[in-house]
Amino acid sequence: MADTRTLAVMGAEVHKGLRSQLAHPLGHVISLAVGMSMYLGLQFVMGQGRLREDLLPPTLIAIGAYWFLQYSAMVMVADLVEEKRGGTFAQSQMSVAPPWALMLARLATASLFGLVVAVAASAVPAAVAGIRIPWNAGAVIPLALLLLDILAFIYLLAAIAVRSPMVGALQSLFTALILLLNGAFLPLSLYPGWLAGIARLLPTTLGIEAVGKALFDGLTLAELWTSGALPWLTAHTAVLAVGAALLFRRNHRVAVRDGHLGQY
Amino acid sequence: MNTPAIEITGLTKTYRPGGEPAVDDLSLTVEPGTVIGFLGPNGAGKTTTIKIAAGLLSATAGTVRLNGHDVAARRSAAMAQFGAVLEGSRNVYWTLTAWQNLIYFGRLKGMTRAAARSRATALLTELDLWERRDDTVGGFSRGMQQKVAIAAALIADPAIVLLDEPTLGLDVAATRTVKNWIAELSNDRGKTVLLTTHQLDVVEELCDRVAVIRAGRIATDLPTGELLAGFRLRDTYEVHVEGHPDLPVLPAGFTATAEADTTAITGRVADPREVYDLIDLLRARGLVLRSLTQSQPGIEDVFLTLVGDARHG
Repeated sequence: MADTRTLAVMGAEVHKGLRSQLAHPLGHVISLAVGMSMYLGLQFVMGQGRLREDLLPPTLIAIGAYWFLQYSAMVMVADLVEEKRGGTFAQSQMSVAPPWALMLARLATASLFGLVVAVAASAVPAAVAGIRIPWNAGAVIPLALLLLDILAFIYLLAAIAVRSPMVGALQSLFTALILLLNGAFLPLSLYPGWLAGIARLLPTTLGIEAVGKALFDGLTLAELWTSGALPWLTAHTAVLAVGAALLFRRNHRVAVRDGHLGQY
Repeated sequence: MNTPAIEITGLTKTYRPGGEPAVDDLSLTVEPGTVIGFLGPNGAGKTTTIKIAAGLLSATAGTVRLNGHDVAARRSAAMAQFGAVLEGSRNVYWTLTAWQNLIYFGRLKGMTRAAARSRATALLTELDLWERRDDTVGGFSRGMQQKVAIAAALIADPAIVLLDEPTLGLDVAATRTVKNWIAELSNDRGKTVLLTTHQLDVVEELCDRVAVIRAGRIATDLPTGELLAGFRLRDTYEVHVEGHPDLPVLPAGFTATAEADTTAITGRVADPREVYDLIDLLRARGLVLRSLTQSQPGIEDVFLTLVGDARHG
């Protein structure tokens, strides 16, 4: 586990990340605007010229999850690739803190930006269209797992970015697939079985389903577990988190071995 | 006995299995307070060695210890021992101010915020950057950016400073500033500096010791004075004769070059009597001597001799 000094270094890394990102705020402002306006436009098209009230609540949760993942991943990957190309990534690695801790701090910074965009992209359309989402305490655990699932996926992308600048293409591919299939267009229950099966392999989908069952169907935590929603989500998150941690460790070791830590 | 500041033992780095080693069984011990010039042609293994010392590259074999801390085995402790300015890379964040950069790099090395602030204030003042501490580094000149990079390397007051081409791309004034700083680091602050550069006058002026690396191995490792003295057994003589006359066959080791209104005859000889023979030869032809100069070989001559015909850029 991280000691006090490592935690202090992580704090400095988050602080630096925030300052670097906010040095050019216009990009974030544009993303916020796109995030806030995209959802209702999308639902207007899906509803063939009207907003379908039955589809709005479940898809709103999905679009929020999408924006959290998309924007956090974009900040994380773009920042890493730029720093690797520039040379500051190598400088940051000459720290008393272990590399994984520095990467977790970068993830924290990226997720803060992702969270702001996700909240705005959900809250503004909810207010404009009067979308009401019932609250159920049973949703807390699935929601936490959903966030962890997303963070684990971004850490996986970061692990790839340590070795390959092609991570940008992978990031685009996956975020596009997630937007199409995680339920942001239509609830997963309306998908054909085979497509829903593929969608559940992607990050966010299982979490959105579990959260939806808790909020809209009123399932308790125990019922979520027996229904299989929670075990699958837990397994997906665990596999993704362990896989990301192992891949980061491996890729960092290979980058140090091959001399690619400071540049591609 | 003091622990060496830098202790490199049997260091070998091969990038591809079965390939030529970039660094080949290299050993080097640097005592505290020494400024060592680490010279070699491009591709000789200088940067590879520095990157291994900085923990950015792993060794295939061998160890690097910084103040007794093994970089591979005790990474965190080793990272606290040094600051580094790396070649060809952006060493500081251009989107941050000079102040923010120094605080960040101080915290990365484990300093408290208060300690980093105090040290950043001192460094920025010494570097004449205090007035511009709140400007983003991206707007600085190359020389000022390099000053900030060096300050960032020194923020935690490390005992060891690794400088890979710190004067590369700097103008004369900025180079002078950096040179003064390196001299001060060693003379007044007792730092150990491992310096690579292709600017050999910098080495001659600043380094207590010179290690020349060729094909991944140490070719020579001597105190600078001793290294130069060994080569000064053969001084360089330059004789200028008026105009561009037909010259007699020159003694071995001498070459002639036409200049504006004279011809320069240059040679490195061990015995000054060879120069008298040359002058006799020229007088016998009735040529008018304009000047005779004697010079001792500089570090550049020594370097070129040691690395053979390997080109350096």
